[in-house]
Amino acid sequence: MAYQLSFSGFVWRNLWRRRLRTLLTLCGIGVAIGAFVGLVGFSSAFEQAWLRIYTSSGTDIAVIQRTFLNTSVDESVGAKLRALPVVAQATPMIYNVMDLTPDVNALAYGWKADSYEFESLHILSGRRFSDGKPEVMLGDLLAEDLKKKPGDTLEIQDSPFKVVGVYHGGSALEADAVIMPLDQLQQLSSLQGKVSTFHVRLRPTPPGESPEQYLKYAQAQIEASLPTLRAVPAAERASNNEFVRLAHASAWGTSSIALLIGILGIANTMAMSVFERTRELGILRALGWKRWQVLMLIQMEAAVLGLGGGLLGIALGWCALHVLAALPQTASIVSAHVALPLLAETLGIALLAGLIAGAVPAWRGAQLSPVEALRCD
Amino acid sequence: MTSPLLEVRSACKSYDEGRIEALRGVDLSIAAGEYMAISGASGSGKSTLLHLLGGLDRPTSGEVLFRNSGLGSAMDLDTYRSSYVGFIFQAFHLMPTLRAIENVQLPMLSLSRSRFDRAARARELLSELGLEHRMEQYPNQLSAGERQRVAIARALANDPQILLADEPTGNLDSVTSARIMEILTGIHMRRGMTLVVVTHDNAIADSAARQIRIRDGKVEA
Ligand SMILES: Nc1ncnc2c1ncn2[C@@H]1O[C@H](COP(=O)(O)OP(=O)(O)OP(=O)(O)O)[C@@H](O)[C@H]1O
Ligand SMILES: [Mg+2]
Repeated sequence: MAYQLSFSGFVWRNLWRRRLRTLLTLCGIGVAIGAFVGLVGFSSAFEQAWLRIYTSSGTDIAVIQRTFLNTSVDESVGAKLRALPVVAQATPMIYNVMDLTPDVNALAYGWKADSYEFESLHILSGRRFSDGKPEVMLGDLLAEDLKKKPGDTLEIQDSPFKVVGVYHGGSALEADAVIMPLDQLQQLSSLQGKVSTFHVRLRPTPPGESPEQYLKYAQAQIEASLPTLRAVPAAERASNNEFVRLAHASAWGTSSIALLIGILGIANTMAMSVFERTRELGILRALGWKRWQVLMLIQMEAAVLGLGGGLLGIALGWCALHVLAALPQTASIVSAHVALPLLAETLGIALLAGLIAGAVPAWRGAQLSPVEALRCD
Repeated sequence: MTSPLLEVRSACKSYDEGRIEALRGVDLSIAAGEYMAISGASGSGKSTLLHLLGGLDRPTSGEVLFRNSGLGSAMDLDTYRSSYVGFIFQAFHLMPTLRAIENVQLPMLSLSRSRFDRAARARELLSELGLEHRMEQYPNQLSAGERQRVAIARALANDPQILLADEPTGNLDSVTSARIMEILTGIHMRRGMTLVVVTHDNAIADSAARQIRIRDGKVEA
């Protein structure tokens, strides 16, 4: 055996010496990173599901209100949109979250019976609803949850609706949704004459033009003729709508708090470890170690804790996503697969957390005067 | 006249904002290859002087020169400690988590030297000190005398020119003490290394070619 001692080997020995403390610290940062992977993974899956609403129906642009406070658009805008040469089809819709029963709430969509959105739905049983009638169609998951089939009656906000069809949607978000005539949802939400958004399919990109250019051009055309509205490309809308933004914000918010606690855990461990090893650090200085080498030693120990916690956290987050992917409520949205960029980002954050946590203890360790440190027992 | 290897010029060291004066004006020069013993009562300032000689600390006033370069000014203390000085302590100060052979490699980590070289050098030094069968032990598996021999090997790791020992036999019985001193003087003679030993033991002090006594922070005439 060679017994070659390396810098990293020494780092490892120091962590291994206090195995229990190292393990507990790893658990702390691991849980934080696990929460990050699970929550951010879930919220990006949610965003992907949202994007599929647009891609599956071929929507290129969503037209929405420009201001934040007034979120509804006049239904009359439809005629103006359809008159634009770049627009092939424009269909109004309302979406909302509704309490269907005390424990089931679902996305409710209001569509016109002739909406092109129907093209991406696969009707499993029953038929499409008719405008002006108290009829609804249920996504397959929701129908199963509510135990309803075509012909049954569903009470929504004290009004009876007839279930006329059950469908399977192009996006997971539609599987858990209820779709009803636009006018019915307008009545339910007291939004007569208003819609949430218009979905627009553009005419085919003219030859010689790139799709991106054409999209920009169409956006400008729509906004020029309807100055109070915004034309948002589908991909941007998917990541930027209120629901997705809320999901992202709560994912990042919750995991930041967890991460902060994890960082404090590492910082505490490293501060204790520097304190206990004061004399040893003095000996290292007496043996010729330079200040920056002592700094590096402690920073590397903290970084290993961060990275180790990151790996543990990825494992935990992966398990959490697997659980979510197996639950009927979330299975259709969450895939158990964790995207590679998220993994890289996670490890980067974990490493950074370790370095931040180690900074103060490392600096203190490096500042020790060798003589003072040696006198300490 | 050849210039001394180490020179202390009117060095004072005080603690507690001057309330404690550990050294009060020490002048001393040490030639290359010299073997010198420092003795004196407890609290007289021996360790303080040794720390100044080893670049572990700076004098409050006065200066210490290594080959005419001021320590802490012309010569960086870290560089001085890592390349020119080896320290041996009374309490050995080995790292408990490292094997004997790894402890010896510790100072070499501060210099750029290949990992393979480091291990080979540590092996060679431990063999030289008669520890070829103890290389893989941890400090708590070694006797006190063996621990001090590991510490000596560690002090020699970076091939220093000066070996500074602060009561190296203070924790050892008389037989082991004699053996350790034999090793240190042997190294001094074979390698022509400058050796400075702080000691309470008159026999050891008498064995040195040069002996100084410290009293109340000054070198006794
Ligand atoms: N960091 C410090 N703060 C305050 N006083 C100190 C400090 N270091 C040393 N002293 C004082 O300086 C004086 C000289 O100490 P030093 O350790 O050099 O003595 P010594 O001769 O080595 O003694 P011993 O034989 O007991 O080791 C002592 O009075 C000691 O209390
Ligand atoms: Mg002393």
